[in-house]
Amino acid sequence: MAERDTTTPDTPGTPETPDTADTEAVPDPAATRSGPGRLLVAVYAIFALAAGARAAVQIATKFDEAPLAYVLSAVAAVIYILATVALAMGGRTSRRIAFAALSVELAGVLIVGTLSLADSEAFPDATVWSGYGRGYGFVPLVLPIVGLWWLRRTARADR
Amino acid sequence: MTNALATVIIVVSLAAAAYALVTSLRNRAMGWGHLIALGVVEVLLVVQAVLGFMKLADDQGPKQPATFIGYLLAILLIPAAGAGWGMLERTRWGPGVIVVACLAVAVMIVRMNQIWTGNG
Repeated sequence: MAERDTTTPDTPGTPETPDTADTEAVPDPAATRSGPGRLLVAVYAIFALAAGARAAVQIATKFDEAPLAYVLSAVAAVIYILATVALAMGGRTSRRIAFAALSVELAGVLIVGTLSLADSEAFPDATVWSGYGRGYGFVPLVLPIVGLWWLRRTARADR
Repeated sequence: MTNALATVIIVVSLAAAAYALVTSLRNRAMGWGHLIALGVVEVLLVVQAVLGFMKLADDQGPKQPATFIGYLLAILLIPAAGAGWGMLERTRWGPGVIVVACLAVAVMIVRMNQIWTGNG
């Protein structure tokens, strides 16, 4: 995905002139998925699977019971899938997508966690983020923090 | 759900996790032993899926089987995906992936038992 056609001659009028600035100071795409990152992606993949399966079952079988919670389940699932793929790919754009997904994830677990405790009637059935991810050993709370730290670390290591 | 089989799967996957953890702590990459261990877990999970569907067809199990079926099928992906993803990493983090995958299998089996008996 990160490969670029560098053989394109740099002639005037060629619309696809390679943007040289784009290839400078870009961290190695493999950095986010290598070493400890391999583990991070694995954990994200499991949460993507867990959240995705949970949302699919909830929406397919009992959506009317708690629409808000189930829509949130689906949103969480999409964010985990996005984070997994973006961390695994690790190119320049992927890092941005990963950063956005992890930020939304952190905000989500904090907001939903707080709301689920404050207004438990709106969340009769658990989402991954209910009670700050209590049902999943608080891993959903720790994961985005570790992930954001990892993104920062891998970006600096290549400079 | 077959309790004996569930127990066997939990024991085997925890043993595989411990084995991979030792490898990781010794700073070694994963090898054939890990693949065989994951293969055993996968075979046991396939047997569980077949038995699970037979029992569901026989009207045993939870009243709302959707979640259980989700687990029954999703869990099949874990050892295979863990093996593939771990193999790509030729460092101690490869077996680290196997630790995560095997622990996830054990946790999911415990969860499936709860759903099966209606305590979930």
